[in-house]
Amino acid sequence: MNASALDPNRPACLLAPAGSLEMAMAAVDAGADALYMGPLGWSRRPSESEMNDDDIHRAIDYANARGCEPRIVLNTFPSPLEMDAWLDKVRLFGGWGASGFIVTDIGTMPLIREILPDTQIHVSIGSGITNAWDGRFYQHLGADLLIIPYRWGETEIDQLKATSNIGIEVFLFETVQTGIICPGRCIMSSYLKFRDWNEGEGNHSFHGSANRGAKECYRVCQTHWGHGTERDEPHQQLKLRSDARLMLHQLPAFIERGVQFFKLSGRERPTEMIRDLVTFYRKVMDGILDGSQTDMRHYETELATLQQRWVKAKSRRVGTLMARAKGYGEQPALHAGTRAHG
Amino acid sequence: MNNNKIDLSSIELSTNVANPKQLRQCDISAFDAIYLGDFSCMDYPNNFSSHPELLADAVAEIHNAGKKAYLRIYATPGNEDLPEVQAMLDAALALPFNALEVHNLGVLRMLKERGNSTPIHLGVFGNLYTDATARVLKDYGVERVYPNPELSLKEIVYIRDNTPVEVLFPVHGKIPLVISETCFIVENSQCATQKVNPRGKLVCDFPCNQDYWLNRSNGGWVLKDTGRMTLSGKDLCMIEHMPELLQQGLCCFYVQSHGETPEYVAETGRLYRAAIERALATDALPGPSGVETLSQLAKEGLCNGYYFEGAGQTYVGREQRLGA
Repeated sequence: MNASALDPNRPACLLAPAGSLEMAMAAVDAGADALYMGPLGWSRRPSESEMNDDDIHRAIDYANARGCEPRIVLNTFPSPLEMDAWLDKVRLFGGWGASGFIVTDIGTMPLIREILPDTQIHVSIGSGITNAWDGRFYQHLGADLLIIPYRWGETEIDQLKATSNIGIEVFLFETVQTGIICPGRCIMSSYLKFRDWNEGEGNHSFHGSANRGAKECYRVCQTHWGHGTERDEPHQQLKLRSDARLMLHQLPAFIERGVQFFKLSGRERPTEMIRDLVTFYRKVMDGILDGSQTDMRHYETELATLQQRWVKAKSRRVGTLMARAKGYGEQPALHAGTRAHG
Repeated sequence: MNNNKIDLSSIELSTNVANPKQLRQCDISAFDAIYLGDFSCMDYPNNFSSHPELLADAVAEIHNAGKKAYLRIYATPGNEDLPEVQAMLDAALALPFNALEVHNLGVLRMLKERGNSTPIHLGVFGNLYTDATARVLKDYGVERVYPNPELSLKEIVYIRDNTPVEVLFPVHGKIPLVISETCFIVENSQCATQKVNPRGKLVCDFPCNQDYWLNRSNGGWVLKDTGRMTLSGKDLCMIEHMPELLQQGLCCFYVQSHGETPEYVAETGRLYRAAIERALATDALPGPSGVETLSQLAKEGLCNGYYFEGAGQTYVGREQRLGA
């Protein structure tokens, strides 16, 4: 069993997704140091990748009993009209033994600290940071960890460390530089269509995008769009963002720089894939940390196979979401003027 | 609150102007305040947000016209942009701007550590969703917030009523949906040159001077691409609902005119000014709302954004609203 994330001698932790109780248990068993899971309607994912409160309670107990830290994703921007319900979730999961929260709305951070003075506050990718001074802002606000943007590499990590003492978390994706990459600064999906919660636990307000807790983001950035100067001319077909590739070669340098959490994405992926990825990254990180294998070329073939599975599942996922966008949440198409479009 | 408490002198109608050329070309007489600069792209020609040498004349011109002048600070600065942003702050804070518009929290922190006392307006990409956030921002000198466009009218009024900050209420123009640190047009346009400067950045020949659109035939989805920012295809239009907004006690109205023509700026300003005056007049006769004219200026039609709790591109006419 891996050491606890609280162990000060263990500087780099593997933070694994839990889109279900089954996935939570598989990730813990495969060696995750920490686990993140989102309650229904409060964590920017469709309901099948979020968990009901009972399952979260069981996952917290399972993780804590095995030295794995349970973190709760409460990273929607709540409605100002539902803040009490949001804070009730913090109290509930904190009381059950969750050791930290992944959040976005800056107003909620001091409120969490007031309720749970010793909890760990992770700044979610949805906060949309772009520079090292953002880290300084969040440090002064009382956050413990900041997940850095997909575009950032070693230079930016050094700049962040020179500007603030906030802990650093990275996604296990290679850095990408092109395309519209803007988690936390995008409401394209809900402009076009959204589906609100009519059922489920506790979340019945108007929301808009998944950023706010609507049922799903349709990932419209990952489908093909015509792009050109005149609407009626033939367009080139483009995705708005590039596909991220799983990280490998950057890991040793990031660990050396003191990155504290390596976050594996994928609450919506199959459990077996997450189990295999946790097993893989556990092995890679342990090899770097104990010095037994620091040459990442050793893992290239194995990662290539995992990457293929990753891309295949992702493409299936985007297809599913776009089909939902077509079928769900029809809004009344009432327009003024003669040139309105449905 | 009701409209007995609102009179014309407490109303502010504002819009945005990116550079001196637009300031010369646009008739801004209908507006009370101007947001200077394009916060999405530092490279845009003579952008007030990245040319400190242009600010003194601009702020003087706007003040001489009896209007307030606000400066927009670049919204998504990377570490490499921070020295330029610092230089802009140095220049702006030495001038009599009525406020700075800031989107980035790192820049907000910078201003706090400088001991800044110039009022700050939080920009649209500052992610203001809650009253709790407004209270945190107040400690940073934020006096006005541009609520995230996803907030409903009810939520905006709630924030206005429960925080010590003012809310800006966009009434017209394409809705900012996404902002990115790179330019999608330069990356993908077949017209754009792909030259790289010695620092490894693409050299821009400003293909964004033409209108670019993103469209997806399946569903009839249309968005406007201005390079680093993607806007709604349809124009937000609240002119039919001005009486209701004034009744709610809202008073800082904004026309989003990024990427629009001088005619668009002048016409929308004129129509909204007239709509406000008509709504506040006790003896006004019913007249045309101006929605037909605004519809003709909107290539992809009109919408109400999220104000009435629908997807952003839906439109609810006044009669349907009153019926609801």
